[in-house]
Amino acid sequence: MSATDFETMVGALLAGDHVAALAEARRLKAAGVSAERIVTDGLEVAMGRLDEKCTVEQFNLLEIMLVGRAVSVVVQDLYPEGMPPAGGRASFVIATLEGDVHDLGKNIVKMVLIGKGYRVVDLGRDCPVEVLAEAAERERATAVLVSGLISPIVPQVRRVRAALQARGLGGMPVVAGGAALKQLTAADLNVDYVAETAFDGASYLEALATEDKG
Amino acid sequence: MNSLERLLAAARFEATDRTPFMPQLFGLAARAAGVAIDAYVRGGSLMAECQLRQQERLGNDAVFAFSDLGVETEALGSRLKYYEHQYPEVVDYALAPGDDPARLSLPDPARDGRMPGVLDAIGALRRALGDSVMVAGGVAGPMTLAAQLYGAEKALFLTMDDRPRFEAALDLAVAVAGRYGAAQLAAGAHMVMVLDPMASPAVMPPELFRELLAPRLHRLMADLRAAGSLTTWLNIAGPTAPILPHYAEIGAAIATFDYYVEPATARSLLPHTCLLGNLTSLDFLAPSPQNLTAQARRLIAAFADRGGYILSSGCEIPAEAGEANVAALAQLAAGG
Repeated sequence: MSATDFETMVGALLAGDHVAALAEARRLKAAGVSAERIVTDGLEVAMGRLDEKCTVEQFNLLEIMLVGRAVSVVVQDLYPEGMPPAGGRASFVIATLEGDVHDLGKNIVKMVLIGKGYRVVDLGRDCPVEVLAEAAERERATAVLVSGLISPIVPQVRRVRAALQARGLGGMPVVAGGAALKQLTAADLNVDYVAETAFDGASYLEALATEDKG
Repeated sequence: MNSLERLLAAARFEATDRTPFMPQLFGLAARAAGVAIDAYVRGGSLMAECQLRQQERLGNDAVFAFSDLGVETEALGSRLKYYEHQYPEVVDYALAPGDDPARLSLPDPARDGRMPGVLDAIGALRRALGDSVMVAGGVAGPMTLAAQLYGAEKALFLTMDDRPRFEAALDLAVAVAGRYGAAQLAAGAHMVMVLDPMASPAVMPPELFRELLAPRLHRLMADLRAAGSLTTWLNIAGPTAPILPHYAEIGAAIATFDYYVEPATARSLLPHTCLLGNLTSLDFLAPSPQNLTAQARRLIAAFADRGGYILSSGCEIPAEAGEANVAALAQLAAGG
């Protein structure tokens, strides 16, 4: 089966048509295509094209949410028990920290990373820093991700590094993003990287994951 | 020229005696007065007092009887959680994903939720300031209220899954904003700004803004003018360059531009509309105003030859910002 056989599914995913994407994924599976190949040649291709399209000027949540939902529906159908950390894929721990209940940005990042085949442990919103650090240790995360829409969350973000250090994870990268946090620098927030968009963050994390494997 | 005259002149591209200064000061007025946000957002004399004292200290050209974007949805039946140091958040939305917006009836601003408290604050501010300083009210724009009624994710998915229901939610939101805005004007507001952060191109594709939101915002601006708003202000933060050209046809006399949009770009996209911005909001958290005053000098210079400019931030100044940073800008705007 060639790459062109996945075009229908890629097109449905990019159109945000989760019903058509699911039907196509099921058709491919019935034709004997492995779940792993549907992820690599279908989902990851679609996310790659969306990534190319989404510059800082052209990034909008709606389009990404629609593609993300279609990807999630297909992943859930392929792996009802959850996506395995197959092929040495990295795991990321993500949360919106305590005091911030806005989780739209976090959910977008999660969808993008799942679409790229990573394992994402989502700690939800209003998450204490300690819970984040504990999960990072337990999940042997490659990095921790924090999203923040509102400015009162800034002091919490600055505490993440110390909480990781207290668990001997001082070298674990911390990535921040979201409308409020991206107005500040990595140094201001005491993190390693501040992502301008979900795809910008994903590119940084992909590079980290590649280093980790190497 | 007093503050109200200065702002109205800028909105009309007329000469002003100095750069008008209208920082978006909402919760910071409470914080600076040592008042908890959960008390401030209930409006009334406490909100008015915080705004008045702050205006006395800073000399800003407008005061705001605006608390947060949860007022309208709460009046329509959503349940909010209140916090001591930040704005309330919806914890239970008025509409479930399958609900028709028609099941909700328009709120009565004199009776429902916190709307009466905001109207009281407006009355107190107007009685204290008369026509010397602009008394500004505020309403949630259609996209933002739709998101506050269903939840942001669900409302956004409705654009794809059930367009008629989504449009019905937008129409309800316009009707709510029109009625609440008219009540604010009747209570004494000189102007009602329309805040629609969810309409930003960071959230909605610009094509959907043009198709679904621009006609409704146009209707809302016309309704507010008819109800007595002395000018109109469309306040959307983020990377708005793709939608700014529509603001003129929408009927916004004042347009916010955020730090994403260069002053020269904003000028070229809206040559006949008063621009307000674009200081970076989180720079107000810095320990010193140096960076902000440098930005402000560049902005004042960038508009010196055309007028039609109001010095402000591109989004709300955070409640935890240092008031000294705002004071430095007030001094700069005053020519100091």
